[in-house]
Formats: sequence, C-alpha cells, structure tokens
Amino acid sequence: MTERGGPAGSGEPLLSVRDLEKHYPIEEGFLSRRVGTTRAVDGISFEIYPGETLGLVGESGCGKSTAARSIVRLDEPTGGEVIFNGDGRGRAERNDDGTHPNDVTRFDRAELKAFRRDVQMIFQDPASSFDPRMTVGSAVAELLSVHGMTDGRRRRGIVENLLERVGLSATDYDRYPHEFSGGQKQRVALARALVLNPDLVIADEPVSALDMSVQAEVLSLIEELQATFGLSLLFISHDMSVIERICDRVAVMYLGELVEVGPVEEIFAEPQHPYTEALLSSVPTPDPRAERERIELSGAVPDPADPPDGCRFHTRCHRVIQPEGIDLEQPVWRRLLDFRELVVSGAIDIESLRDRAATDAAPEEGDPVAEGAVSVAERIRDEFDLPRRLSDPTAERALGDAIGELLEGDTEAAAERLASVIVTPCETTVPGWTDHGNGHRSSCLRHRPEGRPIAPDPATDDR
Amino acid sequence: MATEKTDKPDRFDEVDWTELAGTRRRDLSVNSLGMIATTLPLVALFAYDWRFVGEREATFGAVGLEADWSGIDFMFVFTLLLFCFYLVLPLYQHPRMTRYYWREFKRNRPAVVSLGWLLVVFVGGLLGPLVLNAPQQDVLAGHQPPVFLSIDAANVAQCLGEVRGGRCYGTWQYPLGTTRGGKGVFRTIVYGMTISTQIAFITTTIVAAIGVSVGTASAYAGGWVDELLMRFVDIVLSFPTLLMFLLILYIYGAGLGMFIFVFSLFAWGGTARYVRSKSLSVAEAAYIDASRLSGAGTYRVVRRHVVPNTASSIITQLTLLVPGFLLAEAQLAFLELGDSELPSWGQLISAGRSDLAFAPWIVLAPGIVLFLTILAFNFLGDALLDALDPQTEAETER
Repeated sequence: MTERGGPAGSGEPLLSVRDLEKHYPIEEGFLSRRVGTTRAVDGISFEIYPGETLGLVGESGCGKSTAARSIVRLDEPTGGEVIFNGDGRGRAERNDDGTHPNDVTRFDRAELKAFRRDVQMIFQDPASSFDPRMTVGSAVAELLSVHGMTDGRRRRGIVENLLERVGLSATDYDRYPHEFSGGQKQRVALARALVLNPDLVIADEPVSALDMSVQAEVLSLIEELQATFGLSLLFISHDMSVIERICDRVAVMYLGELVEVGPVEEIFAEPQHPYTEALLSSVPTPDPRAERERIELSGAVPDPADPPDGCRFHTRCHRVIQPEGIDLEQPVWRRLLDFRELVVSGAIDIESLRDRAATDAAPEEGDPVAEGAVSVAERIRDEFDLPRRLSDPTAERALGDAIGELLEGDTEAAAERLASVIVTPCETTVPGWTDHGNGHRSSCLRHRPEGRPIAPDPATDDR
Repeated sequence: MATEKTDKPDRFDEVDWTELAGTRRRDLSVNSLGMIATTLPLVALFAYDWRFVGEREATFGAVGLEADWSGIDFMFVFTLLLFCFYLVLPLYQHPRMTRYYWREFKRNRPAVVSLGWLLVVFVGGLLGPLVLNAPQQDVLAGHQPPVFLSIDAANVAQCLGEVRGGRCYGTWQYPLGTTRGGKGVFRTIVYGMTISTQIAFITTTIVAAIGVSVGTASAYAGGWVDELLMRFVDIVLSFPTLLMFLLILYIYGAGLGMFIFVFSLFAWGGTARYVRSKSLSVAEAAYIDASRLSGAGTYRVVRRHVVPNTASSIITQLTLLVPGFLLAEAQLAFLELGDSELPSWGQLISAGRSDLAFAPWIVLAPGIVLFLTILAFNFLGDALLDALDPQTEAETER
C-alpha cells in the first residue's frame, strides 16, 4: 500500500503535525462568559516517518495525551494542521487556498472513517479500555464490522489469529476483560489497535500502569509487531527509560510546547534543553560510577491557563539565565528568583516569620528589638535557603533593601525593588529553535540569546 | 458468498479494505430478527381485532376460542417478546457472562428465594388463566373457609365441606376459601398474578423506554437540549400523578390500562436522571474513546456501549420501581377507585375488609401474596445491583 521503511529524515513523513493547538475555554458564571483559555497544547510541530518510532515525553499534565487525542480527533484541535500521508495519499500538493488535502483536521465524516483504519491508538489504563460487558474478541471484531466486514465467521477467524499473534490464545476470544490481567489486556489492546492494519499506532503510556516485568514483555511485543508490520509509532510516556528502549527519535514536551526534538541517542547523550536534562537525571543508570547529578525541579508545573511569559520553563529551570551585571552561583540565583516570585505574588507571611524569629531570639540577652530585627532578616534568608550574604553586590543590595522593606511592612516596595533588579531574559524573551545538527533541535535561550521578545500586544492572549 | 469465504484470507493484514468499506449493508442480529418476526403477527392480530372483531366478540372467536384480548393484553405480549429477545436470549447467547452473573447472584440467598417466588407469580400469571377457569360468582358457596380451617356454620349459607360440632370445614374445591360472593380466593389470586405481571412488565417497559431515551439523549446532546430535557424531568417528577389519575377517573372512568398508562408516564423522571448521570460517567471511560476511534458513529457507540453499561443500574432501579406500582394499584382498589370487576389482589382485599371479623382469609391471603411479592422485588433489586456490575468486582481485585 504505502512505501515503508526508509531511514528517518528522508522522504515524505507519514504524519506531519504543524502548530497543533488545543485550547479549552474557561467559562464562568450564568452566561458562560469566557474568562480565559487553558492552553493544553499550544503549537507543537513534529513529523513521524514511515516505520519510525517517535517518543513524546514530558511530565503528567504537560499535554501529551491531549496532543495525541487531537491528532486522531478524539478531541477537535483548535488550530494547526495534522497532515497524514499514509494509505496512498502521498505526494499531495497544497490547495490554492493554502489548505492541505491530507489535513486530518479538515477531514469530513467519510474521510475520517477511512483515516480510522490508518491510525489507531492504545490507551493508558488497561482496566477501563475495554467494555466490561463485551468479550474481548467481539471488542476487537467490532472494528472490522464497523468498517464493513459483515461476515461474522471471517471476523472471528481474523481476530483469533491476531490474538495468537499478540501472545494470547484463540480461545480467549470469548473471555471478558475482567478475566484478564493488566498485561494481557494491553496485549488485547494492541490487537485492537492492529486489527484494521493501520500505518500508525499512537500508544498513550501503554505500559505505565503495568509492573516492571510485564512492561518489558509488552514492550518487546510492541517492538516485534512494529518490525513485522512496518508500523510507525507515536509513543507517549513520562518514563525516559522506556523511551530510550523503544524510540528512534524523541520530542520533549513542557506545558503544551515542545522544547527539544532529536534522535534518541543524541538526546540521551547530550541533552540540550535544561528540562530534558532534568528528566534524564531521574533515569537510573546501570553504571554506579557514572556521575550524573540528580536535578530536582523546583516548584510545581504552572497552570496551563496562565503559562509563564517568555520561556515557559523559566519558573523551574535550574539553568535560568542571569542578567548582565549579576553573577551568582546558579543554585543561589534560582532560589533568589523563587524568592522574588513569592514576594511579588504576596505569598510571604512576614508576621509568622517574625514570630518564629522572635521565639528563637528570646533566650538571648541584650536589646530585644535590635536583636530581633537582625535575626528576622537572617531568618528570612535561612527560610528561603539564601546565603546570609550574596556574592554579587548588586543583588545583595537589592535583596537586603527588599527584606528591610518587607519587615517595615511595605510589601509593594519590596516587590517592586526585586522585580526591577532580579530579572532574567528567560521571562521576557521567547526562545527560538536552535539546530544542533542531525535533526536535533532545542528551544532554549542559552543557545541563541537573541530569541524573540514577547509580543506586547495583549490581543494574542485570546488567540 | 460461500465460495468467497474459502479464498479470503483470515489475517488482518491481508484484508482489502477498499473493497469492504463500500458495503453499507447493515446486518440485523438474531435478536432483532426474532423480535421483528414475532411482532409483525402480533401487530396484524391487533389490527384484525381492532378492525374486524366486534366490540363484544372474542378476539379468537373465529377459531373457536373464547379468549378476548384487550389492548393491555397486546401490550403485555409485546413486552414479553421484548423481554425474551433482549434479556433472556442474550443471557443464553453469552453463557460465560450469564454464569458469572449467576455465581454473583447466588451469593445472596434471600434474593434467590425472591427470584423463585417471582417466577411462581410470573408463571402463575401467565399460565394460570389458561389452566383455571375464571372465578365465578356463586352466592350459595359464599364464605367457605380454606382447607384445614373452619368457620362457625352460622356464617355460611351452605357448607360445602364437613360440618362438625357446629363448624364448617374447608374443602379442596376452594383451597383458600371463598369471598362473600362465593368466588374462590385461590383462583382470584392466580388471576391477580396476571394483573400484577402485566403491571410489572408494561410499566417497566414504558419507564425504561422513555427514561433511557431521554437520559442518554440528554447526556449525549448536552447544551440546551440537556437543560430542556432535565427541566422537563423536574416537571414530571413533581407532577401529582395520583390527582391526575383521579381526575381522569372521575371524568372518563379508568381501567387497568389507564392506570398503567398514567402512572408509568409520570414515573420515568428518576430513571431518566439516573441514566443521564450514569451515561456521563460511562462516556468518560477509555473504551468509549476506543469505540469512537474505531470509526463507529455516535448511535452505535451509545447503543452498543453506553446503554449496556448503564443497564445494570437501570435494571436495579426498575426492579425497585415495580413494587410502587403494585402497591398503588392495591391502594386504589382498596379505596374502590378503579375497575371493581378486575380480579386484582387489591380488589380482593377490598372485597374482604367488611368480613374481616369472621373470614380473615379473604384479606390475609392476597395481602400476604402482595407483601411477599413486594418484598421479593426489593431483595431482587439489591442483589442485582451487586451481581450485574463486573466492573466493581474487577476494580476491587486490581
């Protein structure tokens, strides 16, 4: 049917995702007034070539699953294109109005139904991915009958044969989902995904609900079937070790955007984006002598309804850039930014800090007021893991003054002072893509400091 | 077809979908075929009865039978057919699931006994009228006591059994005694089973049909359709059904048919609401996504996955609804608001209340039967809730 195989990066991609967006409106009140937008997926682009496995990796909640669901139109994407060139659709030219004839997001009912035969999906939770009132055999055979195979005996024959191929037995046809273990259910899920002989299978965390040993079995089955039938695979996972094992290329996703794309060996050997670095640092290495610093990301994932300006990762990045004129140790700089963020958002409770400092200082003799004031300032620094004295004079002056203002109760002045001095280009500039060769790209300001300043136009917020 | 089958490969990767995808023939299941094949003659018979058979003639008069079917009887047969083809036959078609349900159900002993009792009522109601003649008025045989019991001979006009020491003993001719008018209590109870079975089946069907349609439509359409339907449900739920029924009764008069019609037409509100919330939660499950991803249309997804998975709770809810109807019928009959010719349990209780002092069996026998039936429905409902949900089981095992 379609030309398969061929090295990655050559020829026409099977699936090409262009600036895919899925925004959910946030509605409020009686009249469902639109008050904001959750940018679950905010403009991601990647390609999958025939026979290739692309890994999509990121923390939970970063929009991986939404991206997958938008690609297959389980959720309707709100922007961008998904161009599918499989099943004899290859080499199509764009229409005169700029739309693409193979754009899945514009498929009508009939085209979409045909597309369902080409792209199938495996879901994360084996427990809920089968109708509890249907035998697994009929659940798999249902796809055949939906697409017009009316001959029941033939359906059964095909499904029984396929069940054997995924490591189950033909007699399992008549069993119910609750009679299978999680790993077996994922095998059936694989059979269901394969039964229409698709070109591309999207696996949404297919093994994350399974035990380690079962994971390995299911992964080898996926690899084996992929090799036999020349499938392309979009493999979604939060587990870097699984990605390393099964993928050819990786796309790293953070808060609705891609931050790094590249061949799996290169990304694992030389991660370019700090976020990728952090994800990789959590993978256990087989070599106990290998020195790999474990990076702990500070803070929680920001709300996709209100993503940070500039580089979206700057609120948690351990390599966040220091402005000209400030030179601090990187961890201290990170903590200083976190402290600024707390002061600006008004989340610091000076009174309780003062109380605690007072109880600490009480046993000491001397002037209680003066002693107390000094220890509260120090106390605050300790609380936020900041050194008693910053090595950089500019930063030190700003921090000292700001703490003083905080103690005087002038939170606004403190916030203003910190916000004017403790700044990073990461929050004002949207990073562009940097090509590291061999299809390895990353989007971090450290590689290309010019970037693109954030648009001052607030209208873009409602895009 | 037969030749094609042999040379078509049975491997998923060798199917020529471009050839198959063109076929738009929809294959009907055995169940639907059976349903259609049996419903058509029923409809024909109904049309014949309505058009060609006179008001006072028996439906089957032309073939020499005396049976006369009313609208209720046609409706009853129709619901029985539905019951056979969409409840009993599927249980037979899926023996594995049936065995599983039965194993789960069996754990609840009172429920098994209840099911036995309801089967007795069902079979009695279905076959009783065919085997036994309708209870006849016979003033001379009034107030006969049940077998093994006796009554002061002064209270009976003519004792059919033995008279010993001034007391009249019961006979096997009337195992549960007779009423003042001399109708056999046992036969009236058996005929009452028919009425109760009819009430149970027809109301259940009407409530389920409307409730499931409105509930799933509401859940799936969403938006203003959902809003509109649910507000309509609120109206239905707050409607004073009894007053409505009394009004109709006083203006037009009302029989069993009107009772069933009015009461079931205002009882589906709870079911609809229940089905809606259940459908919404089922629609979240990954297998619904998988089914949509298979290319199936919304109707197929709802019909094949959403409705069957809400079924367990619907069945339970309906089982708990039926006792309400039976009680309502009995209460109305007791208050003499209804067709006094109807051989229902309520009518029998009502007929015996003036003779309670010396002939308590006239009230007690149907009263106990009614009580047991209602109790049985309640036990059954609880047990079905536990038995019909393989998912809860699977999740606890996980």
